[in-house]
Order: sequence, then C-alpha cells, then structure tokens
Amino acid sequence: MASLRTRSLPLHALRTAPTATRPSSFLRQISPLPATKPGNPSTLRWHSTSSVSPDELSHFSALASSWWDPMGPSRILHLFNPLRHEFIATCLADSPPPAIQDPTFNTANLHYLDIGCGGGIFAESLARTIPLDPSAASPTPTRAASMTAVDPSPTLIQIARDHGRMDPTVESHLRSGKLRYLNTTLEDVLFTSTPETPAQFDMVTLFEVIEHIDPTTTTPQAFLANCLRALKPGGWLIGSTIARTFPSWILNQVIAEAPWPIGVVPRGTHEWSKFVNPPELKSWAQEGLMRAADTATTRGGARDLEGMRWKCVGTVYVPGLGWKIVPGSEDWGNYFWAVQKSV
Amino acid sequence: MHPISRAALRPYICASCRYGIGASRRRFGTKPDQTPDIYDVVCVGGGPAGLGLLAALRASPITSKLKVALVESQDLNKAQAWNMPSDQFSNRVSSLTPSSASFLRKIGAWEHLDTNRVQEYQEMQVWDGETGSRISFDWSMETPPFEDMRTVATMTENLNLVRALLGRIAASGDQGLTLFSNTTVASIENGSDLQASGPDLSAWPVLSVKPTGPGSETKGISRIAARLLVGADGINSPVRSFADIPTQGWDYNRHGIVATLALADLDTPPFPANLRTAYQRFLPALGGPIALLPLPNNHATLVWSTTPENAAYLKSLSPSAFLAMVNAAFRLSMTDLKYMMGIERSEQTSHEDELAWHVQHTSLPSQTPPLATAVQQGTVASFPLRFRHAAQYISPRVALVGDAAHVIHPLAGQGLNLGLADVAALSRTIEYAVSHGMDIGDLLTLERYSSERYLPNAKIGGACDLLHKMYTIPGQGPITWARSLGLDVIDKLPFVKSFLMKNAEGH
Repeated sequence: MASLRTRSLPLHALRTAPTATRPSSFLRQISPLPATKPGNPSTLRWHSTSSVSPDELSHFSALASSWWDPMGPSRILHLFNPLRHEFIATCLADSPPPAIQDPTFNTANLHYLDIGCGGGIFAESLARTIPLDPSAASPTPTRAASMTAVDPSPTLIQIARDHGRMDPTVESHLRSGKLRYLNTTLEDVLFTSTPETPAQFDMVTLFEVIEHIDPTTTTPQAFLANCLRALKPGGWLIGSTIARTFPSWILNQVIAEAPWPIGVVPRGTHEWSKFVNPPELKSWAQEGLMRAADTATTRGGARDLEGMRWKCVGTVYVPGLGWKIVPGSEDWGNYFWAVQKSV
Repeated sequence: MHPISRAALRPYICASCRYGIGASRRRFGTKPDQTPDIYDVVCVGGGPAGLGLLAALRASPITSKLKVALVESQDLNKAQAWNMPSDQFSNRVSSLTPSSASFLRKIGAWEHLDTNRVQEYQEMQVWDGETGSRISFDWSMETPPFEDMRTVATMTENLNLVRALLGRIAASGDQGLTLFSNTTVASIENGSDLQASGPDLSAWPVLSVKPTGPGSETKGISRIAARLLVGADGINSPVRSFADIPTQGWDYNRHGIVATLALADLDTPPFPANLRTAYQRFLPALGGPIALLPLPNNHATLVWSTTPENAAYLKSLSPSAFLAMVNAAFRLSMTDLKYMMGIERSEQTSHEDELAWHVQHTSLPSQTPPLATAVQQGTVASFPLRFRHAAQYISPRVALVGDAAHVIHPLAGQGLNLGLADVAALSRTIEYAVSHGMDIGDLLTLERYSSERYLPNAKIGGACDLLHKMYTIPGQGPITWARSLGLDVIDKLPFVKSFLMKNAEGH
C-alpha cells in the first residue's frame, strides 16, 4: 500500500484539481491508483515512502499565484526570511563547517540544499548572495557557493524558476547551475547519490517544512534522518518550525488564521497537531544522526552524537514591528533550530 | 522581370513588421539595443539628496560593491570645481541639524567640506512681530557649566555641501560607479523579457539617458536598467511620474527672498565669544517670517517669506533701500513696516530715512540682530514656497527621496535635513537588504524605508504648515493671543522646549 504512494500521486492530483484547497477526501479516494509515471522509468524507488503529504501539496500549490505578492497571503513568510539569514550566520559563527574554517580565505565555499523550497523565497534570497566571481570574498556571512532547492510541487518550482529569471543575478546563477530548482523530493535526491557524486551538502535548510510532512507515510524521525544523510560531516541542518503548546495554538491557529483583518496566514496553512516541540525535535535529530550513520553492516550509536551541536531560539512576530529573534520564546510558537553533524 | 517576380513570390510582410525587423538589424550594427546596462542603483538627480545617497552607499563596506549610477542634467565637474572668495557666500544656504551633520560625518563627507565656510550657531531667537512674545532655543538647560553650548544647527552653502559629497564620491574610486553628468533622462519605461538570451526585465525600469549638450561626457543615447531607481529629482520628479505616484499639496502664494548680507558688530559682544545666534521674526502683516542666519566673518544669510507682491517690491529696491527694509523688518511695528513696503520710488522720502525716524520711536526688544550693513551683489533672489507630499515614497523598483517626495515651508529650515534623513534611511535599508539577500528594488525591502520616513516627514511638514498658518493671521484676535501665550509658556517650560528641539533636531 505504502509503496504506491509515490511522487506521481500528487502530480496527478494537481492536474485534476489544480485549484482545490484541501481535497483530502478526494485524494484518499484516488490514492490506490497505480503509481505509474509514463515516460519515466525511475518510478521504482528504493525507499518505500515519500515524505510529501498530498493535502499539504495542494494547499500550497493553490497559493502559487500569489506566492511572490508582497501583500499577498505569503507576506508573513517574506517578512520572516531575513531572520533565516541571521540565524544561519549565528550558527556559522558558533561553529563553522570544515569548508570555511580557514580564516585566511573569506570566499564563499558552502553548498546549500533547501528542502521544501516552495516558490523559492529562501533559495532565491540566498542565491542572490552567491558571488558571480567564485574567487571573490563572500558578501555575507552565509558564505553560499551554490544552492540546490527541491520541492515536490511542480507549480511552485515553476514559480520559483520564473521569479528567479526576473533578477539578472539570480538568472545568471540559474544559467550556470549555482542555483538549481529541482522538482523532486529529498528521498529522490538521496537516491540519485552515487559514490562519485555524493548528494551531500555543507548546509541543509528545512524552513517551515517539518510541520507539513505527511504523518501517514513517514515519521518526522525518518524524514530528519534523511535530511541528515544529505549533510556532510561538520555541516549544519537548520530549520524553523512551530512548537505545539497552548500559546502557539492561540497564536497560530486562532489569531494568525483568523479572517481578515486579524489573520495574517491563509486558513488551513497549519495543523496544530503536526507542530513540533523543541525537545522532541532534539531527540529526533539525535535519533536521525545515528540512523544517518547506519551502514549496510553496522548501526550508528552514541559515538555519532559526540560532536553534535544543538541550537534553538524562538522568534516572535509583532504586527507593525515585524519578526524578532527573542531567546526564550521557543515555547510560544515559532522557533529556529539547528543541528551540527560531528566532523 | 526577375526582381518583380521575386517580390511577388515573397510572402507578404506588413509595414510595421518589416520596420521591426529592419530596426533590429540596424541596432545590431551599433550597440544591441535590447540589452541595457544593468545597475543596482540608478539615482536621478545630483542635488544634496542624490549625492548623499551615492556617498552613503559608497562609504558602507556592505553596499560599496553595488553598481551605481547617477544622472544629473547639470555639470558635476563644474560643481566639484566650485570656488568663491572667503568674504563672499552663495545665497543658497541650508541649516544642517546635528543629526544631518552626524550622518555626513559617518559617511566621511564632512571632512571634504570647507569648514571655513560653515557657521555653527548655538542659540535661536524667535519672536512674534505682532505681540513681541518670544522664545529662545538653545541647549543651555542641558549644558553643564564650563562646557561649550551644543550646536543648534550648522549653516552650510548648498554648493559647499554638493562639492563635499562629490569629493567623497570621487575618493571612493570609480569601480562600479558611473556619473552621467550633463545628462538628462529622455524616457523611462519598463524593460522586456530577453527570453532565452537573458533575464526577464519586464518589471525593471529602463532609462534612456541623453547628453544635454556638446560638453557632455556621455556620447549618444544610452539605455540603463535599474534594480532600484531613486528619484532625487526635485519637485517635478520624472521618476515620480514614471511610477505614477500622485502628490498632494498646495502653493502658499508666498515667495522666499534670499540674500547674503554683511553685518555690523553687535553692541555687546557675544559671551562666550564664539556664541552665534540665529534670528527669526514672524511678520503676520507681511505674510511670513524673516530670518537672519549666521555665516562666517560676520556675514549672514537672509530668508524672508512674504507675498509675491512684497517680494517683487523688495527685489526692485536699491541695495541701500533693501537693507533698510531688512533692518526695519527686525525692528519696526507691523503698521510702520506696511507703510514702508508701500513707499514709491518717486517719493521724496527714502527707506533709510524712514527707518532712522521710526526706530527712534520704537522700543526695541533686548535681542535685536546686528544691523545689516551691506548686501552682496547679485544674491537677492526669490523662489515660490510650496507644500507637496507624495502619496507614497515607494513603488516596485522605485524610491523617492528629498524634494521628489516632500516639499515643505522653509520656516524651520528643515527641507534639506529631511532629504538627508531620507537618504540615511534608504542607505540603511539597502544595507540591510544586501546583507540579507533581499532584492534592493523589491517592495518588501523598500517598505522599511518608507515606514521609517513617511510619518516623520509628514509630522515636520505639517508642523511647519501649521506654524505658517498661525503666524499669517494679522491683528490682535484670539489666535494671536493663543499663539503668543503658547510661545511664552513653552519658553518657560524647559522640558517641552527640549522635546521640541529634539524633534527639530531629527531624533
């Protein structure tokens, strides 16, 4: 049963119902369809599950046309984006990955993977900081040399590519391959990894994703383990999500998704029960680090956690003032978290 | 026969399409017209605001790598080579508040300023010509004894400031910098999608700039695309028209008369010796205030807001009669002034005699400015006073600064300071955007600038408008009584006064 739930399912669902916001019952009805994808022989997957939730996919695809509208439903996400850069900068300042540890060189050396890039809000902004001349000093502390962004929604990937073309800098990175938008899943990225070209990155980012994965096909632990598999030793897995607490229910469900003019997030964006608390996330990350260290013959253990670093800091949105990083506010709702893999 | 048959067999192409094909072929021979030069910031207008923005961007290590251009219709080389004898001063002088001065210091432009030509003042005397109630602004309540009094503002010739900013920009090198001097904007339109050959510039403003004359450095028409187009191009901003941003406002039906004056020594020398004072007297019967602001070497600049008729009359006077009117305006009663404003050239009595006679019969207030003794030749000029405020300062890939965004009444000397504050805020916004991977032309970026500046500018502009309206009501009515009471009360409440001064200072 689970093996049928592959990437072709949401594609199919999208084509049949492109504007449906939450056609969950409809999707469940058609889910036993055979997972065949004409013209693509790679429908056989080594993994049994995709982390992509069809409900979530259709919800965000329906927002596609307004994804880049600064006053549209994704406005709150756009306002949040600069803080992601700041949080990454603090992680790198705490413990730089091996690629940028040499203090004599200030070049952009970090290769990023953005999972669940959506319309490319974060991926595009990071791509803009990639210097056109690779030998030049990096203009920002994020030190990006390349960005690979994946999302399961073909609509959103197309939106991201089209929007990228509207900026000559981003367009030239798209052309040179320093910025890649792939309509695929994390599982496929790992699947295409070969010993010669390992699909491993210095930095993996997971912004506003973990609360949207499909709990019926995968677990957050398994998904995080896959994220950590994509990470080079010494690299950071950085994400943001929302805590599952009473204040967060009030803030994110009751207030943020309230009708206009109070609400700032489209209705149905979040499901409170899928939210993740920081201690849960930390334990999943530890579990994930050990599973990522598994090989065909051995299993990862406590030694794989020795060099691990964990960071977590809350963020608060104040209408009129915008987003602020507020240490200690992790339990109120939105927070950043980061795991560094041991070298 | 052969060519005719060929023409007949050729598929029909309509004239406009043929023109299109031909045009693209012609372009191919010179510069490919489709690909404009792409700049990060294109600033239209090389006044203090536009040059201030450029200097600020060049000074910050974060934004100094941006590719920037400035389009100015005047000759910037001439502005950089500007020079004047030390006993003469240009008549376009601005008072820089301490926050403007600290911005100029921060971007390294202050050291390019000829400081022998700037004058700080530590005290400002303002009084009502109708009732005589007065207020003095200084930092004495916040200055400890034995310390020099803080500066209220610094008088600077605009030309000196422009030269300093150009010097600062030149000192930053010419990498990534293009100054289109002697160049005007022929047109601004949206670019096009370059399809397979390049980026989609259909939402980018593309400027066609052309040289104004043979002396220009730019050759022919060039096309430049702007990630962010900054309109620092004054009250009739072409950038604002391109962005289709409406403005609200009105004309005050007043003119500001400016002149450079030489002053007599004060009867009692100032204490401490370096203390300088600015004077402003409201003349409700003549339509606005007269202000005398200090310049070095016992010179001063005059700003006199009055009705267009009075302005025309004053400009028609001989230098000695003009001086008599200026001295009278700081001393005589409204009735005497109105009478003197009407003396015909043919009449027997002269302005000087009238002033001498009337002064004997007027009790002068304690703080009267020193007598103006000479007016520098060719400096008497006037300009219309207007109020304008753009409906918004930003639009996708467009930002307005300075007079393009707001024009206010000059009675508080805040116009240039608001422009520099805009530029400081916009350069901070661009800095933030560059360091966070944001597109500097994006609305999400620019709204930081506009939310920082829109209300403060509206507040100062509105306050100046209110003051103007309160002080153009002549006679001894209730408003006259109320405004004088207000002035007297504020003068006696140091915390209210220091709150007002901090506001005027730009905090």
